[in-house]
Amino acid sequence: MGLIEAIKKYNLTNPISNVENSDAFTYFLNNGIPTNKNEEWKYTSLKQLVSNDFSVEAEGEEISQEELDKSTLKTENQIIFLNGEMVQKPEIDGVSITSYTDKNPSFEDAFTALNAAYAKNGYRIHVEKNVHLNDSIEVIFLSKNTTNNFIQYRNRIDLNENSSIKIIEHFKCLDKNLCFTNSLTNINLEKSSNIEFNKLQNHNDFQIVVDNTIINQDEKSYSTINTLLLGGKFTRNNLSFYQNGEYCESNMNGVVILNNNEFGDNHTYVDHKKANCESNELYKGIYLNKSKGVFNGKIMVRPDAQKINAFQANNNLLLSENSSINSKPQLEIYADDVKCSHGCTIGQLDDDALFYMRTRGINKDDAKTILTFAFASEAIEKLTIAELADITKKEMEKKLNLSLN
Amino acid sequence: MLKIENLKAGIEEVKILNGIDLSVNAGEVHAIMGPNGSGKSTLSAVIAGNESYEVESGSIIFEGEDLLELDPDQRAHKGVFLSFQYPVEIPGISVSNFLKAAISEKRKQLGLDPISAKDLLGKMREKMELLNMKKGYLSRNMNEGFSGGEKKRNEIFQMAMLEPKLAILDETDSGLDIDALKIVANGVNKLKNKKNATIVITHYQRLLDYIIPDYVHVLHNGRIIKSGGKELALELEEKGYDWITKEADKKWG
Ligand SMILES: Nc1ncnc2c1ncn2[C@@H]1O[C@H](COP(=O)(O)OP(=O)(O)OP(=O)(O)O)[C@@H](O)[C@H]1O
Ligand SMILES: [Mg+2]
Repeated sequence: MGLIEAIKKYNLTNPISNVENSDAFTYFLNNGIPTNKNEEWKYTSLKQLVSNDFSVEAEGEEISQEELDKSTLKTENQIIFLNGEMVQKPEIDGVSITSYTDKNPSFEDAFTALNAAYAKNGYRIHVEKNVHLNDSIEVIFLSKNTTNNFIQYRNRIDLNENSSIKIIEHFKCLDKNLCFTNSLTNINLEKSSNIEFNKLQNHNDFQIVVDNTIINQDEKSYSTINTLLLGGKFTRNNLSFYQNGEYCESNMNGVVILNNNEFGDNHTYVDHKKANCESNELYKGIYLNKSKGVFNGKIMVRPDAQKINAFQANNNLLLSENSSINSKPQLEIYADDVKCSHGCTIGQLDDDALFYMRTRGINKDDAKTILTFAFASEAIEKLTIAELADITKKEMEKKLNLSLN
Repeated sequence: MLKIENLKAGIEEVKILNGIDLSVNAGEVHAIMGPNGSGKSTLSAVIAGNESYEVESGSIIFEGEDLLELDPDQRAHKGVFLSFQYPVEIPGISVSNFLKAAISEKRKQLGLDPISAKDLLGKMREKMELLNMKKGYLSRNMNEGFSGGEKKRNEIFQMAMLEPKLAILDETDSGLDIDALKIVANGVNKLKNKKNATIVITHYQRLLDYIIPDYVHVLHNGRIIKSGGKELALELEEKGYDWITKEADKKWG
């Protein structure tokens, strides 16, 4: 039973009672899983993957303490989900953490609609005014199943005035069955608050992830999303920033390294609605073997949004003839006093540089590795959590070693 | 030390080197001169192992070993060094980390113990002093944003660190101001000993006042058309290349 049938079947046994959720579900049924005909999914196809047998929100297998320990980053503050259920959360002064069901879910496309209709698991983090958290909060969603499983999360983070927080989020699947996660996180930033949200996506060959992050920013708020897409069968990230007040800043920083048949798609959207704001976006992509990538960065500058600084760069390194990237900047600018720059590059390693290094005695593989690290360094240096930079570098090294040898 | 015989090489269909013979012994300095496009850089690139050039025939024997069988990095480990006419910018890696990678790999390949970070830094400092280099330079990215002269000095710095047996200096003098030229030449002379050899490629007699060659060769159309002692360079400075290239063209067509 393909995914759509599985969802319909799930609907029969889990009927929807309220209007909001059933509207969302109807929207999903009418639109279905997006295909290449949809402009936003032009280079991204789930067609084959969703034809696999799936179950929806299956119960899950028991996860041992050992498996859990191996999966987390061993940080102080952990929110742990096992097979969809929150089993652990930290106690932090000025921060309330609860499990979450969205009572009034909104949606904008098929996946967010499906999520709106049925996601009942997730976390809510609420940071009170003037609370600044030094340690990051790690959120791990761990699951284990004996069948291909489709699972959804819906989360919400609210930062009150002048508060700050750092989050690390990761999804892990322990079994060798397809594990399809459709997740959505709403982030609301009040005046002068600051979030750094790290997506650690070192997914395995069985993980399919569609991840939506929607950030609404009040004046003088500051957001940074670091996306570390270091593996996974299929990943689609949608980041949307809405700048609803003046003097906001939205930052996106991405490192993508994919190997073999992995696929990764980063879609980003910044809506500059008010004046005197900034957005900075830097994505570095490295593609090995037959891996494929998509980057789509849309920047909207509305008529009222004067004195905007919007910077976007997507640089890609194709390390094999069979790898590919589709990169597309999309600028829509309706204000005149605006500084916008964007650039997308696609290239290979520089042969002259490789030869130069080799004449100094550095072997070919090391030279390639050094140049590849140099390529990604600008983005990696922006990571403030040392452990994440280490994981990224290790994962890069592992992938490069595998593919160069 | 180095014996090149009947070396023919080119790129795709284009023939660049048309039969080079050259012998270099330990302790010697050879100068190679010749008009633009005569093949000087190609010769040095082929000796260093640039894979974009195809070797059609001939041999390059270095200390009894066929260099053409080796990768560029293996040649470096054996002691071949090329100072590039156009040094390449390597973004994202500092001069010190670059050299650390190069020296560790070389020591590993030669079966030597790794050098300690402290000793390595000490050695870098010493060589920087020799070449009168600015502080802070070690942490800059390799050649990135270096001026023309700084790049050339950086080449000699790497040579000083790697202590090659055979150094090929491809127009290391061009782009250097008079003072820098003296410093670099002095550095090269200090590194010279009975066991190593140097090939200097240059257009200017001036450099040869500082680095005194035992032999001077003239390269033209991918052939060495004349060899002589250091006075040949003076003669070329005075008369240009015409008088020998014409003769050669008659002979080779
Ligand atoms: N990668 C290449 N592709 C095409 N032609 C090349 C390439 N490298 C060298 N050549 C050609 O081979 C010839 C010799 O070039 P080379 O750089 O060896 O000359 P040179 O003697 O070093 O000149 P110069 O004094 O200007 O440095 C030139 O005609 C050059 O255009
Ligand atoms: Mg040259």
